[in-house]
Formats: sequence, structure tokens, C-alpha cells
Amino acid sequence: MIRQILVVENGLGLHARAAAKLVHLASRFQSEVRLAREGRAETMDAKNILGILMLAAGRGTRLMVSINGPDEVEAGEAILQLFAGRFGEDF
Amino acid sequence: MIHTKPEVVFQGNGVSQGIALGSALKLDSYNRVIFKMLIDDASVQAEIQRVRQAIQTSREQLAGLKLRLQEKLGPEHSYILDVHILMLEDKSLVADIESIIRDHHANAEWAVRLATDRIRNAYQSLDDEYFRERVSDIENIVERILLNLTGDAPVSWSPLPQDLVIVAHDFNPSTFATMDLRKVRALALESGGRTSHTAIIARSLRLPAVMEIKGFLSTVTTGDFILVNADEGQLILNPSEARLAKMLPRIEASRQQAAAEAVQQPADTVVTRDGHRVYLLANTELPHDVREAKKYGAEGIGLFRSEFLFFAHPKGFPGMSEQLETYKMLAQEMAPHPVAVRTLDAGGDKTWTRTGNAAEPNPSMGLRGIRLSLRAQDQFAIQVEAIFRASAYGKLEIVLPMISTIEELWEAKKLISQVRSSIRLEGNGMPDPVRIGAMIEVPAAVLTLDRLAREVDFLCVGTNDLIQYLMAVDRDNPQVSHLFQPLHPSVLQCLGRIAATAASLKKPARICGEMSSNPFFAVLFLGMGFNQLSMNPSFIPAIRPVARGVTVRAARKLFDRAMAYATSQEIAEYLIAEVSKMVRVELTPFIREIRGSLRGNGGGTAGR
Repeated sequence: MIRQILVVENGLGLHARAAAKLVHLASRFQSEVRLAREGRAETMDAKNILGILMLAAGRGTRLMVSINGPDEVEAGEAILQLFAGRFGEDF
Repeated sequence: MIHTKPEVVFQGNGVSQGIALGSALKLDSYNRVIFKMLIDDASVQAEIQRVRQAIQTSREQLAGLKLRLQEKLGPEHSYILDVHILMLEDKSLVADIESIIRDHHANAEWAVRLATDRIRNAYQSLDDEYFRERVSDIENIVERILLNLTGDAPVSWSPLPQDLVIVAHDFNPSTFATMDLRKVRALALESGGRTSHTAIIARSLRLPAVMEIKGFLSTVTTGDFILVNADEGQLILNPSEARLAKMLPRIEASRQQAAAEAVQQPADTVVTRDGHRVYLLANTELPHDVREAKKYGAEGIGLFRSEFLFFAHPKGFPGMSEQLETYKMLAQEMAPHPVAVRTLDAGGDKTWTRTGNAAEPNPSMGLRGIRLSLRAQDQFAIQVEAIFRASAYGKLEIVLPMISTIEELWEAKKLISQVRSSIRLEGNGMPDPVRIGAMIEVPAAVLTLDRLAREVDFLCVGTNDLIQYLMAVDRDNPQVSHLFQPLHPSVLQCLGRIAATAASLKKPARICGEMSSNPFFAVLFLGMGFNQLSMNPSFIPAIRPVARGVTVRAARKLFDRAMAYATSQEIAEYLIAEVSKMVRVELTPFIREIRGSLRGNGGGTAGR
């Protein structure tokens, strides 16, 4: 089980396009990937876009990601990179 | 769960009086009815399969769309379709839909609506506007799933639960024809207005209705508890215990009043105090309105708007035998009184969206009424044949809508006579001739009436359309609806001219508009010389004592004096002052209606 805080740094936040990228990425792994706003108990399945959008994670939002499964290390690495690369957006 | 949500009050325009309580039934933009149907154990799996198939089809459609969009605009712009596809693939949504089907034994459509309503509500509670706006993406996929689930098939209303409040952005009047009215308690719309066709029908059905409630729809979910207080133009979502306790006696009173009015009133001749015979007739929309017409003692159906047979028909064109059945029933039920069947008057605000009529930029001036009938002559011939055949069972009349020129009358009459000579009844004879009337609702027809009237047996005046064309005002456009002035001097002058021309040619003339259901207008009409007033049957009991209480002589004087004023406002105040002295009838609600019409809205509804 991996747990880590991720910060949404791209300008638009975890908006529709970024959320779609996250869902696509998370779906490539067998592990369960869940996200929650930091300090909140309610977690969302990162493979389901409706839940991701429900996080309403604007720029600067801190999210707790928990990954659990056989490929959790790889999944964690990939997701970390997606956030660090600001979802491939240039701002 | 009823009272866990906070009470919210929305203000609109009460267009049909009454107070009612029920659970919301939300119709979508196509007035599609998402109904709840209980399915049995054996069908659960099939229903789940059906919804999976619809979602799969939706996904394939979106994937195809995405490819086309990518080719045109590049991948940057197709991402929103990606989002929609991901929403369709969202396991929580699918699981939710499936568990509703399984746990509630609900049909797929209902499950989709319920599941997505929940998500929509969750989104609407978000603080961030961008994320809140994703509701529109969700609506988009729901629309697609439902379309793939139900296709274009007309939906049956029979499985609907009891005590419903219909909520919608707009409401196609034709939907009334397919509803089970015993289950519907009230109507609440974002659009519409007091003169909209839907409002007119709501009043005739005694269905409390509030319209022009701005932006309430996104707050309401199917199944929500709603109190509609049309007397005050209010919609109360999730009414509080305190409010309910206060309102229940009024709801009960409203119900009892409707029941009391349902006591049958006999057809009864109406004569003015100076001996002029007056005929109070019924305008009807739906075949079973004939019961209302008889109940309130109408001496005939002055206008049967046959559109509803067509609107309600899945193909848009009911066949001869189907129409024959309806006209026969009307003729038999009303006998010995006449039933005037207006031939199909599609167009204007009465377009039917799903079965044809190519969109027109200006439908009320477009291909409608007799214009359409003369273009689609086969359909016209079928309708006329059905009327001729049904006339063997009672007294039917044909009314031709939207007549502008005498050529239209010539052509229509020629077709009617051809149809008649082509029919062989059982005794091998031709049917008897049927009286033919023209709707006078286009100003051109008013100005040339001395010629047109000679071609027909009687005249019907469509006041709503006449005012609309005379004042060049779209009555459903709130920006200009203040110009929809039934009491404008030009309107009164036109109406007076119609009555005078009809009298000089000895042709009966009938008012077939909403106006005749208001005592103030009714007295004016008698003064002009009209002696047939056709109205929503429920207003006949209110107009009967008015007609009996006045003299045509005094009404004539009233009309002459009213014509001396320059504005609707002055005429209205004059009428209010004078008519109140002439008749001993409760006029307060009608005064409210007249004053409301001066502001371009009802400000209340016509009273009872």
C-alpha cells in the first residue's frame, strides 16, 4: 500500500481533460488507486471519472493518493510523474 | 427522506388556479417521460442487459464522433468526447444503475434517470463553478443513453405512479394527449405563459399550473416532494411540515371545489333579458373532453381541435378508421348538438416536433392550417372522409383553419365535395352535406369577409391568433407579450366588423377563443352581435348567468362606448366599471385576469 500527498499544480486544476488523463493512466494498472482531498475521509476511485471530478480539485489542492495492489509501485511512480508534469499542460 | 431536504420556494406565474401536492416527474427536453415501472425477478437480468447495451451503443457512437472530430480539428479538441466516453465507462455509475434495477426492480430508463440525478445533485453542491458545470456533460451522456434505450418509440404513461407534479422546461401541449390525467396533480414549467397553449389546456383540465419559474429545474429531481400553489404562483420544493400543516386545508378545499364543479349541469337554453338566444359551446382538445362539455351543459362543441389526434399518434397521421372512431364518438356523445371539427391546424405554437414538419424560421406565418392541408391533400382527404362518415351518427361540422384568401376556400371546398362524392355509405348513397365554416384569424380574412363569408355556412373567430396577427406579436415572447392586448381598439374594431358582416349576410358567427370565457369580454361579444360563444367548458357555468343577466341592447351600448377609448387600459377600466353594474356574478378573478393581460401576463388565472 502506497500513500502519498500530491499537489495539483497545473493552472486549470484537475479539470475534465486532466481527469481523463488520470483515469486513462490509473486504468492501465491492476492496483486499486484512490484519491481523497487531504484531511477528508471520502475517497474516490481514480479509474472513475465522475468521482475524480467530484473532488473539485482546483489548482493548489492537496490530494492523498492511496494505491494498493501487485503493481502499486509502478502505478505510484506513473501517477507521481503525471502530477509533476502538470498533466502535460504548459502552465 | 421527504423532509431531509430544505424547503425552497420558487416564484412564477400561476396560470391555472388551484393547489396541489405530489411527487415530481421531470420531463426532458423532448418531453420524454421517464417513468418508473416495476419489473419482475425474471426480467431483472434482461433489463440490466438492455442498459448495458444502450451504454455500449452510446460509447460506440461517441468513439465514432471522436474520430471524426479528430480528423477535422486534431486531437486537442476531441478530449471532451474522451471525457464523455469515460463517464459512460465509469464503473460507479454503471454499478449504481444496475443496483437500482436489481434492488428496486426498476426499469432501465428509471434507473438511469435516478442514478444520474443523484450524481447531478452531488455536482451541484460543489463550490467550484467549473466542476459544478460538468453537470452539462452528464446531462449530455444521459440524453444519449436514454435515446439509445427508448429510441423514438412513444412512451406509455400507464406505469406512472400516482399524484405527480409534472416539471419541465417547456411542455408540448400534445403530451397531454398521451398522459394519464388521473395521476397528474399539477404542472410547473420554466417557460410558457398564461396564453400558451399548454396553459389553456391546463385551465380546461383544472390542473393547477405555474409557469415562468426561472431556473428551478436543475434543483428538482424526479421523486422530489412538491407543493404547487398556483393561486400565488408558487412552487415549493420539499415543503416544510409547518407549511404543509397550514396548506392542507386549502389543498383539501381546492380538491373539493374541483369535485363540486364536477357535478353535472344540464344543457340549458340561454336567453338574454331582452330575448336573444345565446349558445354557449365548448372548445375541446382531447376526445374525452366531451365529458366535460356535457357536464357543464355545452350546447355543442364549437371547436374540436383535431391536432391532438395527430400529435398523439406515433406516426403523426392517424388513419381514416381511427379518426372515424373519434369523430363518431364525439357526434354520438353530443347529439343532437353539433360538433365542429377543425381540420388539422399544425403550425405556430402547435408544431409537432418528432413526426415531421421541417423547422421553419417563422412557423406562425408558415406552412400551417389550411396551407398545409392544401399541400398534403391526401391527409386532408382522409380527415374529411372520416368526418363525412362519422356525420351519419350525429351532427358534425367542418372548420377550416387559417383562411387568408378566397382561393383557399374554393380549393378546400372543391376537395371536400370530391371526397363526399367518392364515399358510398352502406345504403349505397352519398353522405349528406356537412356544414362548412372558416376560421377567421388572419386580418386579411377580416378585411375581405364580405366575400369569404358567402362561401361558407358559418364563421369561427380564433381570437388568440387574430390578436397575434393583428398586433404582430408573438404571445409567447415575454419581451413583447405586453402587446398581446385582447382589448386593443383595433381588436375590438375587427371583431365588431366580423359580427356586423356576418349579420348582414345572415351567417352565424362564433367566437372560439379564450376571450369568451371572461364575462367582460363575453358581454362585449354579445354587444357586437355574436350569439355563439365557444370556450373551455369549465367556464360555461360562469358565463351562463352573465348572458342571462344582460340585455343585448345594453351590451351594444357598452361596445359602442368602449370603442371611443384609445387604449386597452382605458377600455379595461371602463368595462370593469360598467360590467360590474350589469351582472351579478363574482367578477374579482376576471378583473385580475383583465388587468393581468394589460401587463403582458396573467397575473393570475381566469376564475371559476
